[in-house]
Amino acid sequence: MKGAVSQIWAGLLSIVLGCVSILVFDGAHAAESETFSNPAVTARLISAEDGIAPDAASVSLGLALEYGEGWKGYWRTPGEVGLAPEINWSGSTNLKSAELLWPAPERFEAFGIENFGYSGQVVLPIRARLEDAGQPLELRARVSLLTCSTVCVPHDFELSLALPQGVGIDPNSARQIATYADRVPAVPENSDIRISVTALDSRDSALIVLATSDAPFDEVDVFPEFGPLVTFGKPDIRLDRDRTELWAKIPINAWTEEYAEPSVTITDTARAITAPITLTSDPPAPPFSSANPRSSVLKVVAVAAIAFLGGLILNVMPCVLPVLSIKLTSVLKATGQTRQMTRNGFLFSALGVLTFVWALAAALVFLQWIGVSVGWGIQFQNPVFVTLMFMVIAVFAANLFGAFEITLPAALQDRLGASNAKAGYISDFGTGLLAAILATPCSAPFLGTAVTFALAGTPLDVIVIFTALGLGLALPYLVIAARPELVTRLPRPGRWMLLVRILLGGLLLATAAWLLFVLVGVAGGRAAAFISALTAVFIVAASIPQANQWVRRAVLIGCVLLAVFGSGFISSPVRTTASVDAMSHWQDFEPLGIARRVSEGETVFVDVTADWCLTCKANKSLVLDRDPVRARLRGGSVIAMQADWTRPDDNIARFLERYDRYGIPFNIVFGPGSPSGIALPEILTPQAVLDALDTASVRSLVSE
Amino acid sequence: MDSKKRSTLLTIGAVIAGYTALRTVPSLLPEKLELEALDRPKGFRRFIAGETSGTFDAFVGLDSPDSMGVAARKAAAIERVSADICGALYGDLDMSSARIPLASFSDYYCPFCRVQTKSFADMTSKMPDQVAIAWHELPLLGDSSNLAAKAALAAKRQGAYVAFQERLMTSPFQATPEYLARLSEDLGVDGEQLVADMESPEVARELENSAALAQVFAFVGTPALVIGRTVVQGQVSDRMIRRIIDLEREEGWDVACVSA
Repeated sequence: MKGAVSQIWAGLLSIVLGCVSILVFDGAHAAESETFSNPAVTARLISAEDGIAPDAASVSLGLALEYGEGWKGYWRTPGEVGLAPEINWSGSTNLKSAELLWPAPERFEAFGIENFGYSGQVVLPIRARLEDAGQPLELRARVSLLTCSTVCVPHDFELSLALPQGVGIDPNSARQIATYADRVPAVPENSDIRISVTALDSRDSALIVLATSDAPFDEVDVFPEFGPLVTFGKPDIRLDRDRTELWAKIPINAWTEEYAEPSVTITDTARAITAPITLTSDPPAPPFSSANPRSSVLKVVAVAAIAFLGGLILNVMPCVLPVLSIKLTSVLKATGQTRQMTRNGFLFSALGVLTFVWALAAALVFLQWIGVSVGWGIQFQNPVFVTLMFMVIAVFAANLFGAFEITLPAALQDRLGASNAKAGYISDFGTGLLAAILATPCSAPFLGTAVTFALAGTPLDVIVIFTALGLGLALPYLVIAARPELVTRLPRPGRWMLLVRILLGGLLLATAAWLLFVLVGVAGGRAAAFISALTAVFIVAASIPQANQWVRRAVLIGCVLLAVFGSGFISSPVRTTASVDAMSHWQDFEPLGIARRVSEGETVFVDVTADWCLTCKANKSLVLDRDPVRARLRGGSVIAMQADWTRPDDNIARFLERYDRYGIPFNIVFGPGSPSGIALPEILTPQAVLDALDTASVRSLVSE
Repeated sequence: MDSKKRSTLLTIGAVIAGYTALRTVPSLLPEKLELEALDRPKGFRRFIAGETSGTFDAFVGLDSPDSMGVAARKAAAIERVSADICGALYGDLDMSSARIPLASFSDYYCPFCRVQTKSFADMTSKMPDQVAIAWHELPLLGDSSNLAAKAALAAKRQGAYVAFQERLMTSPFQATPEYLARLSEDLGVDGEQLVADMESPEVARELENSAALAQVFAFVGTPALVIGRTVVQGQVSDRMIRRIIDLEREEGWDVACVSA
């Protein structure tokens, strides 16, 4: 009852207020100028006060702008091109000064050019001071402003407004002015955002901004202002986990030492700050992950399903197939096993897969937590890892070819060859582990999506997605564990097993050769030669039948230690780029130059690849290096950039992250038709590449 | 096949066809070539391109109000170009050849102008025997815009107009002697000549002519384009431009010039 009464009162009050405002509006002194209007923009001068109160020394005005559909106007700093609105007040009477205030702008990108401004409705609040307090004010505002859609149309018009002596508020105008005055960025003293560091990187190619906030950031953007001669590209913005610390890197497109007094504006959903800044030359490193939105449970489940599918497909990718061969041989040998033993063996293999996947997930979460950029397959950037992998695979291959089967120490043989006995389970486990490890340089369809999602999410997301991936990869093992009688369907052992062994050994040898190739890329030719020599010594030492056990062990251990430590020391620090011949149509990767080239109307194809990425090699030889794609990339109409991620490279990692990718292959096409890029699927088809190039290079379309 | 099955198939087919039409037709519609004859200048016509065909007042540059002298010079320029529209539009292009002339009007501070300039440069290099292009600068956006326009025209005199536009794509133009020297070096042009040309009466006159043409054609902004005798304002697809070029060739674009 009480509520109903108060509602009636509220209703009555609003009616009364409405009448008052209509009365005021219809009164002799509506606090508005005439309206300037065309399809691009409608403009009026409005005032919060209907008249100048006695003793009033200032008055709140506003330039109310409404841009037409598809039209945009500019901020005080318009960006690379464009022009800020200006008002000339000459001809006004009793006006001492008028200060134009700028609500927080939005960023828009057109044809690869960054611009800042407004679309839809905006009111630029104006703080006007009177020469004689309490005296009437006559305003004559000559407004010049630029609006752009696909054409730029400048406007130059005059608005006039007279405010006589009197009192009263125009509630409508006052509300509008107040709303937009609230969006004007606060001064540092009144904001809970603090800009702590602003630094230039070593080559004056980017500005780095660090800021903290009491309340978490939501949709945040950063706008540096260094006067008209310095322009910036699109910022890379990252937040920490509780979203209160911000790191932003803004590429510099044009730079001059004679910049104007610099300031930085940070805008967030309902707040903003503009602060003058002092530059330092010590840029802080990128600490956090990108400012991505958080994910829902349903999404996590959907992506987990995708990850599962990706994991399953990984089994037939070229990097995992040889490992399946190891498992196969052990099955062929172990035909005498009981049902239970077979089941356990396969369960252990599945566990091996999962263990590696979990270890990987844990490592990734840890790396993410300490702020290292992570990705799928990056362990292949580490020479020690590649060395170990090479040795393991080479020894396996030698084992399959029968080099040292007879005389190998029992324990080691169990670990490698796998026979019955309990030690066999360790070998089963190892097989699964190896399958998972070798799966990492391969990227299968769906996998990129899933891993990307996981790495952008919380640690829980990472664990859930990676578990699903591991289950997918382990599915063949799990199926046999569930129905061990499937093994009995395999043919009986016989002479043909020798053939299978040689075949599988050949597959492993090919894998080893590929790892050696990766090693050349990661550590240099000298290190690769050194390590293959050591591996040869290892295999020979293992296969000489008459050797003394202790000497043999010493040599074997010595080889492994030398290789592991040696690979770290000998690896040449810089990758030699001699392999890039001058005739190649591939150019060096310059992420900061892409926006500029696109704005020049060019189309840029970026291929992020690495020696260890088998899918990349497949894409290269099946699609990129074959006509018609090769002809198109060489034709001169496309700039083909290749980013080599064989060795760790922060620029490439950041580039991938910007497009929400954490693994390669990654191919993306930029052009006037797609300034923000068209990302291609992991496995390329000629048609997909050509279509993307066509779409990107279309300069203009009447229709959207 | 019994009639029931057949009718089901037909229904499904109709649904698919309808859907396909719904998806593809709208994207084809705006490609319609609609032209509207202009009262002034006589013989020319306008390509109707969606949103930009709105009712704008003919443009006003963002300059300070004209003094008497400037106004008089503008009036003189309008009279001058009106007397020979085609001459003013297409300048020194060889009118007798089979090539269709294009006149491109752009401003340094207009985002899409740069894309269009590059696109036209590509088009002329791809089909040099079909089109020829005349570059106009239409600096509507204040002092920096004016200075950049002068520099662009000065570069044009040394054959570096397109190179100049590309070089300035995302870097702000600076009117300092050091900047101009460096710019000239990058473009491979004579720096002293460039500075001299920027302040030359020829460049000033060219700017006046372009502005007068914009007035005569009632351009609302930049970029603007005249193909043969068809005026195009705003963004159009390359395909539409080719269609207009073909149309101009079929119909004979120079009727406008004869009647002027």
